[in-house]
Amino acid sequence: MITLYDFELSGNCYKLRLLMSILNLPYDIVPVDFFPGRQHKADWFLRLNPFGQLPVLKDDDLVLSDSGAILAYLAKKYDTSGLWFPDDPAITAEVLRWHAVADDITSTSSAARLALGYDYNFNIEKSQRGAHRIFRLMDEHLWFGEKAGRDWLCSPAHPTTADIACFPYVMLSEEGGISRQDYPALRRWTDRVRRIPGFTVMSGIFPAGPAKVD
Amino acid sequence: MPLSLSDPNWYPIASSEDLPFRHVYQGQLLGRELAVWRADDGNVNVWENRCLHRGVRLSIGINEGQELKCQYHGWRYANQSAGCTYIPAHPADAPARRIENRKYPIREAFGLIWSAANDDQAYAPFPGSDGHDWFALRPMPVNATPEDVVAGLARLAPDDEPADLLPALVVRVGGVTWFVQPVDAGRAVIRGLLPEKPADELATLRHYNELLTKLRDRLERAAARKPAPEPLQPVFEKVSADLSTMPDIAVPRGNTLTVVVKRKWQSADGVIGFELADRDGKHLPTFQPGAHIDVHLPNGLVRQYSLTNGPGDLSRYVIGVKAESASKGGSKVLVETVREGDLLQISEPRNNFPLRRDATRTVLIAGGIGITPLLSMARFLDKSSLPYELHYFTRNDESAAFSSELGVLHGHVERHAGLARDAIRAKVAAVMGPYQFANHVYICGPGAMLEMVQQVAADLGWPDEAVHFEYFQNDKVIDSSSAFDVELARSAMTLHVPAGKTILETMREAGLTVPSSCEQGACGTCLTTVMEGEVDHQDVYLNKTEKASNTCMMTCVSRAKSDRLVLDI
Repeated sequence: MITLYDFELSGNCYKLRLLMSILNLPYDIVPVDFFPGRQHKADWFLRLNPFGQLPVLKDDDLVLSDSGAILAYLAKKYDTSGLWFPDDPAITAEVLRWHAVADDITSTSSAARLALGYDYNFNIEKSQRGAHRIFRLMDEHLWFGEKAGRDWLCSPAHPTTADIACFPYVMLSEEGGISRQDYPALRRWTDRVRRIPGFTVMSGIFPAGPAKVD
Repeated sequence: MPLSLSDPNWYPIASSEDLPFRHVYQGQLLGRELAVWRADDGNVNVWENRCLHRGVRLSIGINEGQELKCQYHGWRYANQSAGCTYIPAHPADAPARRIENRKYPIREAFGLIWSAANDDQAYAPFPGSDGHDWFALRPMPVNATPEDVVAGLARLAPDDEPADLLPALVVRVGGVTWFVQPVDAGRAVIRGLLPEKPADELATLRHYNELLTKLRDRLERAAARKPAPEPLQPVFEKVSADLSTMPDIAVPRGNTLTVVVKRKWQSADGVIGFELADRDGKHLPTFQPGAHIDVHLPNGLVRQYSLTNGPGDLSRYVIGVKAESASKGGSKVLVETVREGDLLQISEPRNNFPLRRDATRTVLIAGGIGITPLLSMARFLDKSSLPYELHYFTRNDESAAFSSELGVLHGHVERHAGLARDAIRAKVAAVMGPYQFANHVYICGPGAMLEMVQQVAADLGWPDEAVHFEYFQNDKVIDSSSAFDVELARSAMTLHVPAGKTILETMREAGLTVPSSCEQGACGTCLTTVMEGEVDHQDVYLNKTEKASNTCMMTCVSRAKSDRLVLDI
């Protein structure tokens, strides 16, 4: 049985809830009071993850941390279609490249959100600038992707964990004072992610309506 | 040249391809944020990015195809008019007719979406636009003043072939026409057009994207060395009194629109379709499913017809008219003498038959020409992917109207032709089944059928508030022989209503302004709260439960059984 150590307002925890919802995986939740309780720095939590970061996922006796690593684990173990984390070496590299971008989005967009909404002492302006720099590159990548008939961050014709990993803190960027007005292709991609069957929401992330059917 | 909030120029605000179906684009022009969306019929809407209910950005809302739904409280706004069509907090009511979001002028041309801050200047294509198959480049947002961006673009030109600076922030350099969209005092978007589609599209797009990226980086480094300009401060106009208050007299009879009969056709045996449109091609006023219009006929009669249109379809109104109507001189005139190209006077749409969108199951039952409002309802439910079933009873197959319109619906649509009265009754009972919570049924058809379905519904335990129907007119003979007093609680006034005079007339004679419309107890406009006394209901608007509650009445026809009534007026 899978247990997720979860904070409801965490985009990194939401990545796992989102993939498990898409894969239709049952799991239990242990709520961790990240804010204001800082339980992720409590002794009992540090024994699970010495890095003191959410999320942590337990699958029977296996204890895993880092949202990107856990996304890869869940996909490889439970996604029978093999689409979410493809085996092909080149595509694996592509997906991991975007997992790294997702971490950059966390350290910028999420940091600005934590500074504005959760009393974190991060440099707001620097975090916002950093997020805009990444969003510009993502928008360009996705814009040229649309021109070439590619809907997702990676080259396959279907979404991968790269899309799941990058999605939450793009969508939550307004909470960090980062407008997405200048990134129309990025905004269209968020529509597509929100239309993946099995998509689920979190606070601050709204559903998209259905696509047009003829 | 500082930017002006009242700049009348048209600027490109998006590329055509920025607006796929079911997406809401977030834009900005001269400090004003915009929600831009393409409806399923292709029409592009440019609205202020603010729901006029609680101010939430409409760009995070849902493009439902022909309506935009605000993410916060679910208010729906119609394609074209931006009029409010549904308020989930008042699911059983039709929203006030005049609630309308602020919209901006729009034109789609040369692969770009154009808009302006106001309507002061008619759209004109940019100079030299004729005769080319324009190709839009990837737009480039820049955090620099629009004038600095124009200057930067001009510097792209080689010394021996200087750039052409055109009005409205346009720069022509070599073969490229660059438009600078003034987003705000310190922000701009560069939008480039090539006169022809290049041989290698992707390589060309990449080339110009690289060029613009370098220009952007230079401009932003320069901008960072200067003090940032104050952002423009657009004034958000207050909601007009028209919008925020009830109109004095809801719908004066004389308030009509002139429309032209665009198309007249035989929709089925005995049913004639009429397509009515604005003479200048503008859109018609917002309507909600179930709405009807008054049509002023050439012989002086006024008749009501339900709109069949789907959501956000305001380019025309389509009505269905029964050819051999018993109404002497009413529909007959329309069918026999009105031709394509003729002008007609109609009222703005009114809705006495509002459709709830919070039902778990919606059953639509149409008899004959009664299909018209139910077709509209089915189209709305269809677009919102809400569950419904439509049962359409006709005398025979040939008299089933609007077949192609019904054919494209995704819901459960069933036609029943040629059933006898008992068979119709049995079918209706089987279709409706025992009442379950949040089920609603809507009926439109001949009077006998209306009564039959109401009876069936009552037998199956359906409460009155789940059974919806509409009377266009009150055929009852009004008994105005009683005489009584009305005490108007808020106005601190007691009036005597003599026999032969209505409460409404008595109140007007006493100088009160009271809204009314049909004045025959059918439309619901003069609905009034009753505080004391026993009402003698003579209208067809209130249902049995409402009448029995003795808490409201229609002052245009209903009277008092008691000597005295106390009204909340």
